[in-house]
Amino acid sequence: MYFRILAKDHVSTFVEGLAHVYEVFAPVKNESGFSFEQVSDGSSIVLDYPMTIIPPKKYFVRSKESLFRYDTHSGDVVESELEVTPRVLFGVHACDINALLMTDKVFLGDYEDPYYKARREHTLIVGVSCMPVLTCMCDTWGTGEVQQGCDLFLTDLGDRYFVTCHSVEGAHVLDTFADTHEATAEDTKALEEHLRAFREAFSRPVDATSLQLLFDAKYNDELWEEIGEACLSCGACSAVCPTCYCFDVNDELDADGNAGARVRCWDSCMNSQFAEVAGGHDFRPTRASRVRYRFYHKFWSYPARYGKTLCVGCGRCDVACKVNINPRRIIGALQEGARS
Amino acid sequence: MKPRAVILSLSSDYGCQVQMSNFPELLEMLSTFELGYWQLVSSGDMPQDYDVAIIEGAVTTDEQVALLEKVRSIASCVIAIGACAVTGGVPALASGGPVRGQLKDVYGSGSSKVGIGARKPEPIKHYIEVDFSIPGCPIEPAELSRTLQRALRALTDNPERQSMCGECKTAENICMWTQNVPCLGLIARSGCNAKCVSRGRACTACRGIAHDANLASAFAFADSMGCPPEEFDALLKIYNAMSDQELRKEAVGKIAAQEVAS
Repeated sequence: MYFRILAKDHVSTFVEGLAHVYEVFAPVKNESGFSFEQVSDGSSIVLDYPMTIIPPKKYFVRSKESLFRYDTHSGDVVESELEVTPRVLFGVHACDINALLMTDKVFLGDYEDPYYKARREHTLIVGVSCMPVLTCMCDTWGTGEVQQGCDLFLTDLGDRYFVTCHSVEGAHVLDTFADTHEATAEDTKALEEHLRAFREAFSRPVDATSLQLLFDAKYNDELWEEIGEACLSCGACSAVCPTCYCFDVNDELDADGNAGARVRCWDSCMNSQFAEVAGGHDFRPTRASRVRYRFYHKFWSYPARYGKTLCVGCGRCDVACKVNINPRRIIGALQEGARS
Repeated sequence: MKPRAVILSLSSDYGCQVQMSNFPELLEMLSTFELGYWQLVSSGDMPQDYDVAIIEGAVTTDEQVALLEKVRSIASCVIAIGACAVTGGVPALASGGPVRGQLKDVYGSGSSKVGIGARKPEPIKHYIEVDFSIPGCPIEPAELSRTLQRALRALTDNPERQSMCGECKTAENICMWTQNVPCLGLIARSGCNAKCVSRGRACTACRGIAHDANLASAFAFADSMGCPPEEFDALLKIYNAMSDQELRKEAVGKIAAQEVAS
């Protein structure tokens, strides 16, 4: 148990101190909304943001990255592209931290992904509390709080943060770079009040009881045809999803053809090419089968394997999808049918 | 021996060839080919023999049809570059009515003396088999270089299938529709990293309509946002007048029918 109080006035100094040793990435406001960007100046950070368009997964599995380069004549790998620098992600919401714990299961499980692993190991995570917006549903999944997966967590108490330390390195950077003081009884009281306000701020509860069972029974429901008809197959949902981790791998040759790069980029199961195999067979040839697959992966097969739903309720897909396809609606539609 | 390539143009503004000349890796790219002819920069004639034909522009005359047929009989690989060649592009906006009538609208009584051999503008693929299509207005030169390397290795074309929205989100853009600006990213073929929206302009689908596009749903969405089907279709026509005509008609008709029903 190590917790301290950090005045909001001192956050800039803390960030700038961290930036001497680490590359610091934090939410900033731009024309499009909020996104994680590299910062050196603490004053550019916005910690009371609703959500970033793309989650911090972009720092662990990049949207497009060269894995290694090769010589096309010899066929040899000529350079590995894995460069890792010590980083801090500053100001990550609880849902996004929990999402990283879910992608960890995949990338650090039976088949370790060296790129993901190296970046994870060299990145400190400083979480920050938030208040839900209309699309949030972390209350459904219990992902609005953090038990592990970060080094420090800042809970907003108005003019100060209640800082909890989750790792030795987290405590070390806090003691080195931040001007903090001990928590008083008044701070603890304010923390209680924050937590109560957070709980009470959710206005659209979703009951996910026996969800997996419902999904199991409704595999052939006409709902999926209806949803498939509306789906734009654009892949916006999976791009913005903090727990969507699928990727494609391609070879890209240099202009002179002497060398090339093996490139990994985000893929989407909404893409018609996603489940196509050599010879042209397609496991999911229809829009309906693809959109159904995405929800079954999240609510049926991932939980069957890892014991947890592959959704943290961040609400990004709810914002991104133009035709209103999102977990809240799907769960509602499955349950409505069950009652009728 | 290096394969020989020729670059020629039908009806277009030569923008894609200009774009190629801006490509920093152009010389590296051409080191793998012998460049037999480049219409924009060559003063001589096309050689009699070549392996790869890179063709820009829409087909708008009888003469071009004959040229295309000849080129196809010589080249083992034909690469269409740019919106005009791939979808008919802006020239295909004139594909809606009879050519003679349009010439008369523009040139009046003297119209019989102009446009000899003029045809309805169409993409190259309507006349000859095309091995690779590089869409866009203008093309991404790097896409041409990657395609040439695929052609050299006898690989087939592998176009992006998804529409732009996913790529646009990845670029962390705010959606144009949330600012009440109709955007064709909903159905446009991806692959440019949402270049226009990243610079604050709506997507015009210059790369064509995506293989995976759901036109009916996109038209319905646009309608719900106050952009009626005729308006959405007019935007789409700028680069895709000849693409998915049946599906577009169906989508417009479906919404009209729903409005009558309600």
